[in-house]
Amino acid sequence: MLRRAAAWVLTVLIGVVIGAASLWATLEIGGSSFGAHFGLWSHNRAAGSTAAGPYTRAIIARDGLLALSAREALYFNLDRDAGGRPLDESCVYELRGAPLAARWWSVTLYGDDGFLVDNGDNAYSVDASRIGAGTWSIRIAPVQGSAPYWLSSRGAGRGFALTLRVYNPQDDFRPSAESLPVLSQVSCAEAH
Amino acid sequence: MGKYVQTAILIAIITHVMLLFALPRGLMHVAMQRLGAAGENAWHSGERVTARSRQIVRPSPDFAYASCVYDLSRGPVRITVTPWPSYWSLSLYGANSDNFYVIDDREARRGAAILLIRAGSRHPETDDTVVESPSGRGIALIRRLAPSPETHAGAVAAASADICAPS
Repeated sequence: MLRRAAAWVLTVLIGVVIGAASLWATLEIGGSSFGAHFGLWSHNRAAGSTAAGPYTRAIIARDGLLALSAREALYFNLDRDAGGRPLDESCVYELRGAPLAARWWSVTLYGDDGFLVDNGDNAYSVDASRIGAGTWSIRIAPVQGSAPYWLSSRGAGRGFALTLRVYNPQDDFRPSAESLPVLSQVSCAEAH
Repeated sequence: MGKYVQTAILIAIITHVMLLFALPRGLMHVAMQRLGAAGENAWHSGERVTARSRQIVRPSPDFAYASCVYDLSRGPVRITVTPWPSYWSLSLYGANSDNFYVIDDREARRGAAILLIRAGSRHPETDDTVVESPSGRGIALIRRLAPSPETHAGAVAAASADICAPS
């Protein structure tokens, strides 16, 4: 009797675990199918899109709860250099870009925990309103030096990331490796 | 043995489907609890986003945010947005996390005035834009572009005239 009860409890537990694990796997696979890559930038189409069904709704809620709709803003992330290495505070990078077919854009630096880095430099973000027309270049380094535009990586350690937000993209905005800003490594400290 | 396997499969399917529908609602429930802690049917302006802003991952330092957790159980809620000289948008999210409405300054240069009603209920006489909410509760979010401390202070001042209240 007791053995039978234990067998049923185990059956229910196994069922719950399989149910939860299969949902997790489905959302992982489904979520990655929303991913797109443009050069070093990755883009998740799920954030800001309209749910077409319960699975897309769950993926959107998991990856972009309360995100702006895609009509309002598109998000791109970059966390590796051209060599596939995580972005590192001990290196100096340069991000070069041309005007984007959008009303406005910004680039923000986040630590590996997804939050702004607490370094007191107040150089979290550079946006289009500060940069004039034409091509531009932003230095990503622990110190500003002579660069006019700067994102501070001081205290960010290894594994920080850049987020490019493109607001009110025009109908002809087509993200590509060529149209999005390009990251290059300028130098790295000896210890690297 | 067969009945154990069948039961396990049945329970797996039920768990899978229940969690699938519960996940977006659960995440929204948590968000509504956090954003509505200081009172529902009222706007709350967030502080300027800095390294100390750690409620939501990847917060944007470019915006001044205002949020209102609305509750339509006692009737329609009126939502207005005071105009702002730069980009702003109002987004409405239902309890299942769907972004069911968005308006920005390109469409509403002079600000927005919305009467939010429960989907399927009678449309009242009003000059406001009537918007149907698919759920009784949800989140309204205003984003005003304000990338500097000065513009952020201005956006917070503009936000003080926004309305989110039972009509």
